[in-house]
Amino acid sequence: MLVLSRKVGDVVTIGSTVKITVLSYDRGIVRLGIEAPKNIPVHRKEVFDKVIEKNRKASQTNLSSLKSALSKSGVNLQNEIKEEVQPETIKFSATKNDNNNIGK
Amino acid sequence: MKGNEASGGRTIKTLQFGELTFEDKHIFHFENGLLGFEELHDFVLISEEETLPFKWLLSVEKPEIGFPMLSPWHIDLNYDPGENFNLKKLVIMSVITLEDEAGIMTANLKAPVVLDVENQKGEQVILPTDRYSPNHAITHKEKKEN
Repeated sequence: MLVLSRKVGDVVTIGSTVKITVLSYDRGIVRLGIEAPKNIPVHRKEVFDKVIEKNRKASQTNLSSLKSALSKSGVNLQNEIKEEVQPETIKFSATKNDNNNIGK
Repeated sequence: MKGNEASGGRTIKTLQFGELTFEDKHIFHFENGLLGFEELHDFVLISEEETLPFKWLLSVEKPEIGFPMLSPWHIDLNYDPGENFNLKKLVIMSVITLEDEAGIMTANLKAPVVLDVENQKGEQVILPTDRYSPNHAITHKEKKEN
């Protein structure tokens, strides 16, 4: 790991497009200003880790566990939603799973 | 990566959906995968009639990996991912997590999956706003009467 000491107001550059400025330091809290192009997402690492954790957990779900959860809990969902476009979807029916219809 | 192109269709064996036949046009390509699943790039979206309006984002490369998904607008009619998303060609979906045996579910409104229906590409985006949580509860403890 590269370790740099910087004063308030100093800048670190990463590549030619990312600039990190030390804005302030107060009682153990460093405020950073980060400038990066749109295609480089910048996030607090906790958020990133949380999303990974949620994805991992979600990937363990299967049809029967979802059905069982839906039978145990009430889910409040809005039914009338406006969506301008629909994704290509494969329709699946457990009761006629010998002929999966390919959705339009 | 895309087999059986001559027939225009392919079949994969899945645990949950049996043998699933689909065409290339159903595949959403995730260049960067999903967070935590960077090695998976091709997914299909399945709607299973008993669990609608939930959908399933299933990995073509590893069909045992599938995510329950919901439109965030089913959860919050005023959901607003921000101005960067052109909803005339993008479909936004939230990953749903089953939290425990009691059936508690949460939606990740902070990091939606964005599907581009014009070129069949997908990515998971972490929204910069603090307004939405990756842990948004969508269930009540007790099953609703009627």
